[in-house]
Amino acid sequence: MGDKADVWQGTLALMILKTLETLGPLHGYGIARRIEQTSGDLLSLNYGTLYPALLKLEQEGSIESAWGVSDNNRKAKYYKLTSAGRRQLEREARDWRQAQAILAKFLSATEPST
Amino acid sequence: MTDHMWELLHRLRSFFRREELDRDFDAEMASHLELATAENLERGLGPAEARRQAFLRFGGSQQAREEHREARSLPFLETLLQDIRHSLRMLGKSPGFTAIVVLTLALGIGANTAIFSMANALLLHPYRYHNLESLALLWESRGIDEGPDARSISPGDLADLRASSQWFDDISTYQCGDFNLSSEGRVDVAPGCRVSANFFSLLGVGPAEGRLFSVNEEQPGSDQSVILSHGFWQSRLASDLHAVGKTIRLNGRNYTVAGIMPPDFAYPVPMELWVPLALTPAEKSDRSQLSFAAIGRLKPGVTVAQTAAALNNLSRRLSELYPQTNAGRILNVLPLRKELYLYTLPLFALLQAAAVFVLLLACANLANLLFARMIARQRELAVRSALGANRTRLGRLLLSELSLLALLGGVVAITASFSSVRVLRNSISPDWTKWVPGWDGIRVDSAVLFFTILLSLFLGLVFGLLTALHLRHISLNTVLKETGRGSASPARARLRNGLVSAQVAFALILLVCASLTMQGFNRLANAYQGFQPDQVLKFEVALPETAYPDSVKRANFFEAALGGVASLPGVSGTALTSNLPASNVDNEKTLFTIEGRPALQPSEAPAADLQTISRDYFSVLKIPLMAGRFFTEADTATAARVAIVSRTMASRFWPGSDPVGQRLKLGAADSTEPWLRVVGVVGDARQNWWNPATFPVVYRPYLQSSRSSFRFVLRVASNPAGYASAARAAIAQVDPEIPVTELKTLETEVQDSIAIVHIMGILMAVFGIVALLLSSLGVYGILSENVAERTHEFGIRFALGANPRDVLRLVLRHAFLVSGVGLAIGLPISFAVSRAIAAFVFGIVSVSLPVLLSLAGLLVLVAFIAAYFPARRALRVDPMVALRYE
Repeated sequence: MGDKADVWQGTLALMILKTLETLGPLHGYGIARRIEQTSGDLLSLNYGTLYPALLKLEQEGSIESAWGVSDNNRKAKYYKLTSAGRRQLEREARDWRQAQAILAKFLSATEPST
Repeated sequence: MTDHMWELLHRLRSFFRREELDRDFDAEMASHLELATAENLERGLGPAEARRQAFLRFGGSQQAREEHREARSLPFLETLLQDIRHSLRMLGKSPGFTAIVVLTLALGIGANTAIFSMANALLLHPYRYHNLESLALLWESRGIDEGPDARSISPGDLADLRASSQWFDDISTYQCGDFNLSSEGRVDVAPGCRVSANFFSLLGVGPAEGRLFSVNEEQPGSDQSVILSHGFWQSRLASDLHAVGKTIRLNGRNYTVAGIMPPDFAYPVPMELWVPLALTPAEKSDRSQLSFAAIGRLKPGVTVAQTAAALNNLSRRLSELYPQTNAGRILNVLPLRKELYLYTLPLFALLQAAAVFVLLLACANLANLLFARMIARQRELAVRSALGANRTRLGRLLLSELSLLALLGGVVAITASFSSVRVLRNSISPDWTKWVPGWDGIRVDSAVLFFTILLSLFLGLVFGLLTALHLRHISLNTVLKETGRGSASPARARLRNGLVSAQVAFALILLVCASLTMQGFNRLANAYQGFQPDQVLKFEVALPETAYPDSVKRANFFEAALGGVASLPGVSGTALTSNLPASNVDNEKTLFTIEGRPALQPSEAPAADLQTISRDYFSVLKIPLMAGRFFTEADTATAARVAIVSRTMASRFWPGSDPVGQRLKLGAADSTEPWLRVVGVVGDARQNWWNPATFPVVYRPYLQSSRSSFRFVLRVASNPAGYASAARAAIAQVDPEIPVTELKTLETEVQDSIAIVHIMGILMAVFGIVALLLSSLGVYGILSENVAERTHEFGIRFALGANPRDVLRLVLRHAFLVSGVGLAIGLPISFAVSRAIAAFVFGIVSVSLPVLLSLAGLLVLVAFIAAYFPARRALRVDPMVALRYE
């Protein structure tokens, strides 16, 4: 997995929020695996940074956590999107798309503008 | 913004739930690994391999835990707590050092807090007048400043000043003196003032009860109302709640009580009552007598300098308009603040100097102690550094350790100052403190607390930084290479010896300074000269006008009373006088004219104090006769009129010639007073401690100058206080209706009159003790640590066959040598410093040799104790233990 890309600074939170919106309540390991799978295993996620990121989101009130039991009957801590988190996701997704569009335009501009 | 707040709250909460959250995260990690292992198993890996892969993928668990902690909590706070815990442990490990440092700080800071509390109450806020800065005294002089009791102005000039002045918002006039207060047939004397109606409102002080005076009451005839002091109301009216509206009798007239002032109102000095100043038109326009005091409130933005210039112009104009009275007369203005602090300021300067010495001593001790400790800890710090602590971290450790020490010292100092201020306030008699404005206000207030805490933090930081900086100069490798055991390198030994010597030298210098300031106060307190107050009892008698209307009856009473008191066994002399030295009340002032030398203008007539006495007055107070004779039994009411003058009077008005036989009369050249022949010259006796000027005095025999009240003085063989009841009985035998007041020994009276100087003297004594304690602590601390460090060396000496007596002698000789070097350095420096202080600070003379030697001897004694006891302890230790000791 040497040539896999690292998660860009600031995008991990957005990925976590999107994952929780799509799949509903999920534990840390599940979130990590989902992010890796969605990227087509192109991303390498450092688990050491995942948990602090989850903690930060929880402190900000975007997600909340509770201990529960997984499908295969294991104890795990489940994270769930709050309504504040939903709003944050919308806002950040919009910002991200906007930034992407600007960058795309910027990159496709071949002639210097007058 | 609110997000950040929220996060901070979360973090704070996490900080206090650390362990719980650690456990929670551990569980989460475990569940993560289990889930990963399970997935790996599903992918077909073996159980061991599945688990290994899961762990591998997750990475360092400890690192994850740290990162998690850092994200959720306050790492800065955590390291800080760690530092503090470590510091506490280090301080706990050397309780002796901690105790000495905390005690040193507490003494140094505590002394300063106490002084600051006093200065705050007595100097910064003693007078609760509205805007003190804009109040100024107005007075007229003939070119010389005769002191606070001579600040007076003529009503006519004052009226012109009022009319022409654009500099003052308002000006108030007053005149203070004694009032005869009669109640139930007896007469008491109460100090009071006649004041213009705007007096209280100008000072910005209102009554506690009742009302102030109105302008109508400035008319003669409608001026019979009185405002009482809180003290008068308490002591003479028994705190009567219905006192307002009642009538009291003053100087034979009835006055209605209009109001009562709050307890802290005491202008110009503590007074018992105030009545309206009602002047007739003739009195109002009089310019011949400087008879009133005046105080004005400057308009906002007007300075005293501007006013002084304007007053100068006015003086010139007035002297042109009224040359007869105003020639050479100058209007002066003086900020009230300056007047109020005229005499107390130098005292406080001296006291503050002492406080600074004590703080310096404390700082020197601390610096020395901490420096010594740093050297002792070099090895520990080197080891820490070798184990990976960087220098910033080490510096932070030291800094937190010292700040903690400083804070501890500060807390102890605050506690100490609370109790010391309380003790101070309660231990000094109210007889003294009633003269000290602001005394009741002395308390450790928030400003003082702030000052103390700031000071302790500041000291901690300074010493912490100094030691941390010192770290940079230590080569850790060299320190580690040195075995650090026992008898250290010669360089280290030299450094330690140097520290002890420096401490002794410093202690000597500061002790000398402290003792100088103490002596300065004693000298101030004993500034009365010219009479001997010991073994003298005094009391006052005032005769009611109704029973003693004429001079013959009064003379008969006083002659009989004098005879009665004089016949008491053990009494060697008795006398009467109109005023006593040390009464803090200036004598009545009078103009006089010398026969054959009439002044050309009334304003040029010389002035002198007037005192009325009986014949034995000078011998009772032991005031010496310089020329001529004392009054005798022959100087009766019908004999030739005579007077005695003081030495100052003689030398000022009869320079180079003998005044005995000359004649003078009271008043100006045109006065109708009889001529008095000068029969003697006596020594000067200071009347008022606060007024250092010596005034010329004219003494008259009481039989030729009748008064209704006198102070009695009687000289006895011993224990004057024991004659109190006998003296009362002797007066009662002449007339049982006559009260005896103010009965006390003259020594007590003298001491009461300079109360504040005595209070300062007590404080200085406390300072001296603190300084002594501090320097002993310092020398002891550093020398005993020095000896304790040599325990290992002693072990070697024993092992080689030395006997304890030899080793003890060795240690003591060393201690004497090192402290001797310190004394040799300190003696000349302290001598030079004392000379310098004597040149600059009022009331101090250079140190005397016996004082210097006894202080040096004291330090040698401390050095001996500091070396002897730790050495004895070290000698009792088993040589094997000593060898292993570090």
